Amino acid sequence: MREDQQTGAVVFASPGKVVSLPGADAPHGQDHLTWAYQTHVTAIYQYIYSRVGNRPDAEDLTAQVFMKAINGMRSDVSVPELRSWLYRVAQTTLADHWRQYYAEGTGELDEDVTRPPATRENPEAVQRVDSLLATLPESYRRVLELRFLRGYSVRETAQELSLSETNVKVLQFRALNRAGRERGRTT
Amino acid sequence: MNDDPEQLDKHVEDLLQDRKPERTPLPDDDALRARQTAAMLRAAKPGAGLPSKEFLERMQGSIKEWVSEQSARPEPAARPSRRSLLLTGAAGIAAGVAAVLGIERITTATPKTATRPLVDKGSWKPIKALAELPDGTPIAFRSGAIEGFLTRSGNQVTALSAVCTHMGCILNFSKFRDRFECPCHGATFEKDGHPTNYSSPLSSLPSLQVRVEKGEVEVYSV
Repeated sequence: MREDQQTGAVVFASPGKVVSLPGADAPHGQDHLTWAYQTHVTAIYQYIYSRVGNRPDAEDLTAQVFMKAINGMRSDVSVPELRSWLYRVAQTTLADHWRQYYAEGTGELDEDVTRPPATRENPEAVQRVDSLLATLPESYRRVLELRFLRGYSVRETAQELSLSETNVKVLQFRALNRAGRERGRTT
Repeated sequence: MNDDPEQLDKHVEDLLQDRKPERTPLPDDDALRARQTAAMLRAAKPGAGLPSKEFLERMQGSIKEWVSEQSARPEPAARPSRRSLLLTGAAGIAAGVAAVLGIERITTATPKTATRPLVDKGSWKPIKALAELPDGTPIAFRSGAIEGFLTRSGNQVTALSAVCTHMGCILNFSKFRDRFECPCHGATFEKDGHPTNYSSPLSSLPSLQVRVEKGEVEVYSV
């Protein structure tokens, strides 16, 4: 048993006792709300990361999502409500992101809002990628695997595939465009 | 202006280096989709896409601040809520956030007889057929707000929360090392939910109520 444990960075419970949170000087209930949000940070970050693919953007957007979500939500929200609310805010934040920076003048953005997001974002992302790659011709699949999943440089990819570096970039371009259209078709 | 391989590769290179890509207006939906696809591929690389410890810590502070600012403001059209799961009420604490807070009694042998259930006002949700559970290997599940693992040992089934008691990341089970592992900061837990390092300040993984009905494993969940 772990009753003797002292509080470290996190909160610990002795059996059967409700434990108050560190710095529990806030009005009743508020700390729990804080924690409910805090425990979703990683999931939302991963969700966003798999849409923007880089750390600085993922960090900025995750922070934005939580700021907006907390501002716009009642404090008596239930956990399931809070979860789906966070994902909704994440989706609109992402759509704004794409629109603002890259897609002025393009049409509707197909952020897949219809499906409830999985919380195990990473395994889900891996699965989606696998099934997407499976739809591509061999050479396309190969270049994407080497570049993205193995992290080869253009030069290394060129060596591996016996192509020029220019050809690798062209192949990568075609593969990403084709894969993008495949995705558009399935969502 | 047209999209071209050189420009797209610059974007790809930025993603692969985890840099913020340049904000170039794109000519069409194809160009945008190609970049969104690149992001998705980038995130699928093993080990990619996890928040840094520094970022999580920063967010913890910010969230705390935002929540207290928000609750300092009068609620717009404060309507009395009739929901049974309120975070502010005792029921809410027991039902929802307990997984997070670790307000739970952990017993090593028989978690299902624990005196204080993790979920208070939930209902029994079927998860999987008992026959489909491998012996001794935890299987991940999600039901409502609960993420957990089911483990069968012989005829006994136990369920544990899959939320790391450190900072709330979702744990993975490593078959190879036979333990739960946190992808964020490396916390590890035994199959019974105890931290593998017994001097660890982390609390054990809360257990969930579980039962078997007509061969179907059910978890009490919200």
